[in-house]
Amino acid sequence: MSAIATSPAAPRRARVQTAGRQETTWVVTVAVLLVALLAYFCLAVPDFRELGASGILALCEQFLFTGLIALGEALVIFAGEIDLSTGAMSSLSGIVMATLWQHGLNIWLAVVVALVVAALGGAINGLLVTRFGIYSLLVTLGTQFIFSSVATAVGGNTPPYNFPKSFVNFAGTGTVGPVPDQLIIFAVIAVVVWLVLARTRYGRGLVLIGYNRAASRYTGVNVQRTLFSAFVACGLLAGIAGIFVSGFYNAARDDIGDSLLLPAITTVVLGGVDIFGGRGRMSGVIIATFLLGFLFQGLLIRGNSSLTATMIGGIVLVLCLILKIALDRRAGVRLRELLQRRFGSTQEAPAVPDA
Amino acid sequence: MTTLSTSPVPAAPAQTAGPGAFRAGLGNIALVLLRRREVQLVVAILGLFAVCTGLHPQFGASSNIAFILADSTTIMIVAVGQTIVVLGRGIDLSVSPMLGIAAVSIGFPASMHNLNIWLALLFVLLIGIGLGMGNGFLVSVVGIPPIIATLATLTIYGGWQFIICGGMSVINIPAVYTNFGGANVLPGVPWLIVIGAGVVALAYVFLTRTVTGRSVYAVGNNADAAFRAGVPVRRVLFTTYVISGFLAGLAGLVYLCQIGSATSTSGSDGNTNLMSIAATLIGGTTLLGGRGGPVGSALGAVFLSEAAQALISFRFNEIWDPAGVGVLILIAVVADRKGAPVRQLFRQPFRQPAKAVK
Repeated sequence: MSAIATSPAAPRRARVQTAGRQETTWVVTVAVLLVALLAYFCLAVPDFRELGASGILALCEQFLFTGLIALGEALVIFAGEIDLSTGAMSSLSGIVMATLWQHGLNIWLAVVVALVVAALGGAINGLLVTRFGIYSLLVTLGTQFIFSSVATAVGGNTPPYNFPKSFVNFAGTGTVGPVPDQLIIFAVIAVVVWLVLARTRYGRGLVLIGYNRAASRYTGVNVQRTLFSAFVACGLLAGIAGIFVSGFYNAARDDIGDSLLLPAITTVVLGGVDIFGGRGRMSGVIIATFLLGFLFQGLLIRGNSSLTATMIGGIVLVLCLILKIALDRRAGVRLRELLQRRFGSTQEAPAVPDA
Repeated sequence: MTTLSTSPVPAAPAQTAGPGAFRAGLGNIALVLLRRREVQLVVAILGLFAVCTGLHPQFGASSNIAFILADSTTIMIVAVGQTIVVLGRGIDLSVSPMLGIAAVSIGFPASMHNLNIWLALLFVLLIGIGLGMGNGFLVSVVGIPPIIATLATLTIYGGWQFIICGGMSVINIPAVYTNFGGANVLPGVPWLIVIGAGVVALAYVFLTRTVTGRSVYAVGNNADAAFRAGVPVRRVLFTTYVISGFLAGLAGLVYLCQIGSATSTSGSDGNTNLMSIAATLIGGTTLLGGRGGPVGSALGAVFLSEAAQALISFRFNEIWDPAGVGVLILIAVVADRKGAPVRQLFRQPFRQPAKAVK
């Protein structure tokens, strides 16, 4: 009797386990792609090889701010939402920092204020999403326009440039031995975000919200508060990215973050995070930051124009997604099932993921 | 105005008249009408126009009206395509480079070899269909989520537009094009808006009077149910992206006629993507799919263009333009939310059974 009663559950559990394995498979795939990419550039592009280890490490400074935005974006996407305002938020935080410094505030204090502004911006998004129940794509589409207007207004006609050397060294181009400061800070933040997501009750709750909101409420997750905090964290990380961009270019601009949003979302997707939330690994996002970043920088060094490099990035994204779908399929997820998950309703609530 | 007829909750009258009773009356009918987004937008457009004209009489000049309408046409045409995609619960982020590719790839032969405008029309439509098929393939055949698939094609098509230009810009468009772009049917009614209105009318007929059009609503409401009811879900989705590309291509020609030049960033620099989505949302189409229609989106495009002009006439610095759009989006969305069950917005891609979401 009990065998009959439990038998319908058995295939579902099997599928959940497969899902976990699929996620691991994808992280490994992205890591292999990264190694292959670096090997290709080292072998085929002499200019890239001649940079040497420290030169290649220094390349990281060109794309780690995208990675910071991607980390925050991933938090929000894991929870089944999206934040389109991160690019504008980066511009805003850079501009606020620079303008305050121009008006005589200590640069480090200005950084703190800018980060507070960024967190507040994230809080506005979070409030609109959780308290007013508006879908985040719409909220952040609206606030994106507003943040970028505010950034333009605060910055004025000639936004400040030429920050103090200590700041530029720290946030922009400084190094510890051969390792750029930025890389160290990124590593610390990435590890913290990863640990919080993968190893804490809060992080598991966040992913569960994206996987099945109803189930997360039944298991005692405070959905509203968790979502709100995810948006605040996303805003804060975008703010940090804005500081780094300003430090790296030694100038603040009101449109500096506009070009960061799409690469950040691309990174999250390439990292294997389901755009509808609930599935994926933060480690995938971290590796994908380097995969996409090195791809872009390597192509530039090979002599491609930046738009061509962006285009190749898009093609790589499509190819990776096709590969991912093929891998998922081999692991037993049928295409029709995928399409149904994407476009259709399912009568039964999806199962809770393991670990 | 029956664009909302597929909506499962036409509950507005019951709410105004109290439970169970529907008292027909002039006030009641007006209230019911005012719940239609299209009517709200017409009122908003006329109201804003009246206020601006009252304060600045030159706002009401026929040349200004013509400018507002011509200015809105590009976004209007793109937004109609966007609306059809959104009705099928998708999104098309690649409309701006599709518009740009169409504009530059006929712009160069037009300026150098005096390309016939009818041939140009044929070319932009073919280009649009081709690019739209790319999106449709990725979404409905490969099965990549629309927002990601069109994000990828956004960068791919954008790069392609850049390659087509090869560092040059389209200038010196033949007078045939620019004359058409500046010509008026009547004082205050440019030819461009006639094209825009024609597109809206065709889209309206397509969505309400053809099997494929009705299927778009069905798929957007519940793809699973539509599939079980025998709707060819993938083919319908594919069609929506092809239509979006087709209209983006047409908008490329309109853009060329109106602006008279094109560059490697045409389309992207005017924020065509976001503006088309904004017009769609303000027009009352929800990103959840299955509810809304092209008429609202067209009015939304006109309203956006009018609001931009109004900001200028009130001497607002133009840096507040985007903020104005943002506020309008938020207002539209909050207004929309009032009618719809909030919980439904909770989980966008899946429509969970009501009891499971509490």
